[in-house]
Amino acid sequence: MSLAEEYTETSDNSRLERGLAYVQRNSRAYLLIAPAAVFLLAVVGYPIIETFRLSLYQSPADSNIETFVGLQHYVEIFNSDIFYRLLWQTGRWVVAGVAGKTLLGLLIAVHLKGDIRGRKFFRTAFLIPWGIPYAISAVVFRWIEHPQFGYLNAILLKLGIIEQGIGILGNPSLAWLGVVVADIWIGTPFMAIIFLAGLQSIPQELYEAAAIDGAEKWHQFRYITLPQLKSVVLIATLLSTIWTFVSFDVIWTMTGGGPISSTATLVIHIYQVGLQNGNLGRGAAYSVIGFLFLFVFAIIYLRIYTRGGDEL
Amino acid sequence: MQPDNNDRSVEDSIDRRRLLQALGAGGAIAIAGCSGDGGSGSDGGEGDSESGGDGGDGGTQSVQFLTMGVGDNIKQFFEENNAAFEDEHDVDVEFTSVTWDNARQTVNNRVDGGEAPDVSRWPARWIPQLVGKNALEPLDGMMDGEFGEQFYDGVAEGTMYNGSHYGVPWAASNKCLYYNKDVFEAAGLDPEDPSLDSWQDMLDAATQIRDSDGSVPALGLAGADAIETGSQYYHYHWSHGADLVNDEGMPVVNSSGAVDALSLYTDLHLEHNVTQSSPLSSTRQDIRQLFENGDLGMVIGHVYTGLNITAAKENGDVDFDYGIVQVPRGPEGRYSLFTIDTLAILSQSEHKDLARDLIRFYFDEERRFQYSKEKGFLPVVEAVGERSYFSESKNWGPFVEAGQYARARPKLSNFSEFNDRMVQAIQEALADRKSPQKALNDAQSDLEDAME
Repeated sequence: MSLAEEYTETSDNSRLERGLAYVQRNSRAYLLIAPAAVFLLAVVGYPIIETFRLSLYQSPADSNIETFVGLQHYVEIFNSDIFYRLLWQTGRWVVAGVAGKTLLGLLIAVHLKGDIRGRKFFRTAFLIPWGIPYAISAVVFRWIEHPQFGYLNAILLKLGIIEQGIGILGNPSLAWLGVVVADIWIGTPFMAIIFLAGLQSIPQELYEAAAIDGAEKWHQFRYITLPQLKSVVLIATLLSTIWTFVSFDVIWTMTGGGPISSTATLVIHIYQVGLQNGNLGRGAAYSVIGFLFLFVFAIIYLRIYTRGGDEL
Repeated sequence: MQPDNNDRSVEDSIDRRRLLQALGAGGAIAIAGCSGDGGSGSDGGEGDSESGGDGGDGGTQSVQFLTMGVGDNIKQFFEENNAAFEDEHDVDVEFTSVTWDNARQTVNNRVDGGEAPDVSRWPARWIPQLVGKNALEPLDGMMDGEFGEQFYDGVAEGTMYNGSHYGVPWAASNKCLYYNKDVFEAAGLDPEDPSLDSWQDMLDAATQIRDSDGSVPALGLAGADAIETGSQYYHYHWSHGADLVNDEGMPVVNSSGAVDALSLYTDLHLEHNVTQSSPLSSTRQDIRQLFENGDLGMVIGHVYTGLNITAAKENGDVDFDYGIVQVPRGPEGRYSLFTIDTLAILSQSEHKDLARDLIRFYFDEERRFQYSKEKGFLPVVEAVGERSYFSESKNWGPFVEAGQYARARPKLSNFSEFNDRMVQAIQEALADRKSPQKALNDAQSDLEDAME
């Protein structure tokens, strides 16, 4: 046996031994977390598997009979106009919501990092929207935008800008904007806090050096702040995209997906089909599709993140 | 409103596969981020009792009673009567109330999970779906005898499906047309003789209100994405000779009468401009609230609209007078949407005799009187309805009279889906996205596909 082979074998053995020794040393810890791990598998893993199984069956609301239909639900969904309209409406909702939250969050974070009066107050105040349950915020916005009882219309009427109340949430062309505004209001504090933390981790020396070199504020932001903040932005927008995609409370509370289904997203449709109308099989198929969308999106996003590219 | 749970931990002898399936369904929604409502039996928390129902205290039998929408106005009624039943029968009543928002899902999850309650109250329109699941016990034995004779015929028929009674009528509601006498007077209309017999009369009055002042919308029109939009519109639909389904249960929503009805409904807003702004933003509750605030000329509403205004006037919150007339007649007649809630016994119950005792207990005449009076629902028992409290009341009288025009929604297992599609058609016409003919034709086509 050559020296190299002897070394490799010794190394492998010792690695295995080290591994076993590590497990033995920490056996109590593994035992302690085992129940939690099993519990998580049961409550996270099982529903996902069961959802996929359900999606292969016909489960109408008025029957206990489950008929195996294979991929029929998926074929019908992909052949339906509703699905593509839902994709468009979901995409519009996610892109507008995440973009709004990101830009506003960044704007707020940049200002809160500066030495402004009442900085502590504003930092606390900006957290309030995030601390209010989504459904309550949605109810508040529904009332704000209500054509007869809402503040928004009352102010516009007082100012003489309009002659009668505008029903934003009742307008099939405008309703989604009315809902997105509420979602942005709710989600912006999270982004602001994350960005603020990121901004505070950027070495001040970089800005000082840039200032000495004569860089304007905008150039400092463009060439120092944004690149330094890249990883924070990627993670924050990834999380925000997932949360916005699966968001239910705001739309359901404000519009119920209407009018004429103009604010319905994939998630709202899943609820309507699966739980309201009792077609569990079809609802499960939509859920699996939504899950796969998010899964693929997250993988692509994280690959970009880990590759260290310069997409920003 | 909070469910009044008397939750107790009990041994369960449930069908585990069914429960897991229901949890799986919740998981489907959990993936989609809305698992909050998806928990199987989370509103009740009570499993079926071990070997048929020992209450967990070593001997007392228990009966599970699930109901919906028990608000503060009626909570005490149930608490007192459940306690009285417990004393009388030496049993434990496991009473659970869930909100209407969660009701259907709770019932389905509990039935599918093998944890159905013994007795439950729900709308009669759910009967077909639950019968399809073999979830309900036929109650012909009760309803065909002396017990069943106490109900109004139309109400009792409302609990029938496929020739059998699957429930006992628990409560009923119908609708009338309210008008604001002050608004009528200001518009030069006679508040004591409003002449609101037909839709045309209603439109004429609304036009006069619109032209006279304009500060208060003449008519409340519901068009929001909610089940009640359909229930407001169906008065127009039926009174034009249109139907929703034919005798075979197939959709017939785009008849010429239906087109006329939807044209009238949308023209009130688009052409005549006599409604509140943006009906598509308004639920039935919104327009009722507007009327109760004195900010609307007319609205189709339940008896509790009048009860609410009466209470508000007594408290000094509002100061206007109102009148109640029958829902206007159309070319083919007059209808008042009739909704019936039933009390049913579940097939899974292992205490069916006790469940029958509980039902009989709650149909004591005095209890029925108290319930209708406090809750604001029409009496379902004739002897109660004939009491002067109802027949001579300004608020109740027109609704008792409207019983003769009562008509219920069709009993379809997928009525929720059916109604959603009809609401979409109403919205498409109200938003001027489609003509009433096109909107109803499209709805007919989709409904035919859905009901194949």
